[in-house]
Amino acid sequence: MKFKDYYEILGLPRGATQDEVKRAYRKLARKYHPDVSKDSDAETRFKELGEAYAVLKDPEKRAAYDQMGGQWKTGQDFQPPPGWDAGFEFSGGNFGPGAGVDHSEFFEALFGRHAGAGQSAHRPPRGQDHHAKVLIDLVDAYRGAQRSISLRMPMLDAQGRIAMQERKLDVGIPKGIRAGQHLRLAGQGAPGLGGGPAGDLYLEIAFKPDPQFRADGRDVYVTLPLAPWEAALGASVMAPTPEGPVQLTIPPGSVAGRQLRLKGRGIPGTPPGDLYVMLTIALPPADSEAAQEAYRAMAKAFDFNPRKALEGQAR
Amino acid sequence: MNPIVMTYVQGPVVEEEVRFTLVELCQACSAEQEHVLTWVFEGVLDPVGESPEDWRFSGESLRRARLAMRLSRDLEINPPGVALALDLLDEIAALRARLQRAGVR
Repeated sequence: MKFKDYYEILGLPRGATQDEVKRAYRKLARKYHPDVSKDSDAETRFKELGEAYAVLKDPEKRAAYDQMGGQWKTGQDFQPPPGWDAGFEFSGGNFGPGAGVDHSEFFEALFGRHAGAGQSAHRPPRGQDHHAKVLIDLVDAYRGAQRSISLRMPMLDAQGRIAMQERKLDVGIPKGIRAGQHLRLAGQGAPGLGGGPAGDLYLEIAFKPDPQFRADGRDVYVTLPLAPWEAALGASVMAPTPEGPVQLTIPPGSVAGRQLRLKGRGIPGTPPGDLYVMLTIALPPADSEAAQEAYRAMAKAFDFNPRKALEGQAR
Repeated sequence: MNPIVMTYVQGPVVEEEVRFTLVELCQACSAEQEHVLTWVFEGVLDPVGESPEDWRFSGESLRRARLAMRLSRDLEINPPGVALALDLLDEIAALRARLQRAGVR
């Protein structure tokens, strides 16, 4: 087990006042909250912050933590000294930051598995509802799919203790589901107490990043490169869609940035979404004598000034 | 090694097929009733129905209520602050979606 320096995590000296602890936590928590920050490590950072704050804001836990002395450094191998918490009594957390999160092994070794989570005195007999996220491919939303997911969730074992248990579920992903929507799986949450009904499991749907397609609600976007002559003269080209390529007519005189809408080719539903094909123009490289000659012929054939709109605006 | 038990499960799409009562919404996002009541009065959630017993929350309320719950718990933000943060987050999400549509990642 690695030691965690909770003062370092909050960027505080060991002598910081309770007000300074609170200020430092709030400032960093706003920065790294996973709902606010897009940093890839925001979730890890935020968990650490919550854990550091759960210890340092609580005078009892902080005093016990301080007693271990300042010689420990983050990442050092650590075992709590025997009897390290003698003389301290932890009255348990209440509803507040850090409640309901998984704590590190380090935290649990010191303060017990549930010291940070607010344990309400009476839990209702119905089991708690649980939440998880599931990543699917965009094409799953077009066709519907069956996805196996494994979940780690706290369950009561035969002795009535809470232990993490792995469960596998085979989930039906309905056709037409969109990113950000939730599936409710009745009775797949935490088991009830004393014969009460189990809670529900909510699955939040997200799409795996796709190299080609971008979904926004029901609508799907794809970029289609064209040769200059295809855009200018019109053409019939193959365009990718999540359901496979389709023949697409490019009208003559198409310009880069133009969007062609394929009605009803977005994510299915009532109404179905649309597929937007965004045109870009790719220039062939002038990497041979013949290609350069072709560009020179174009320059001669056109009386074309691409900067016409800028004229008269020079400053 | 225990045999892996696979259970096939299906369920409704919350945003399209589910309406929550106050009690159900509290259960679904582990919130106290008083929190949800405050968020309704701050305009974070907008149920139909006259009194709290008759309220029905749209499926979309699940996401908003969970977000409100996390922001108020983790950042110790008061209800008007939660309402403001949710509005701003919605706006950021809309702007990000516009960037993404244009192919900017």
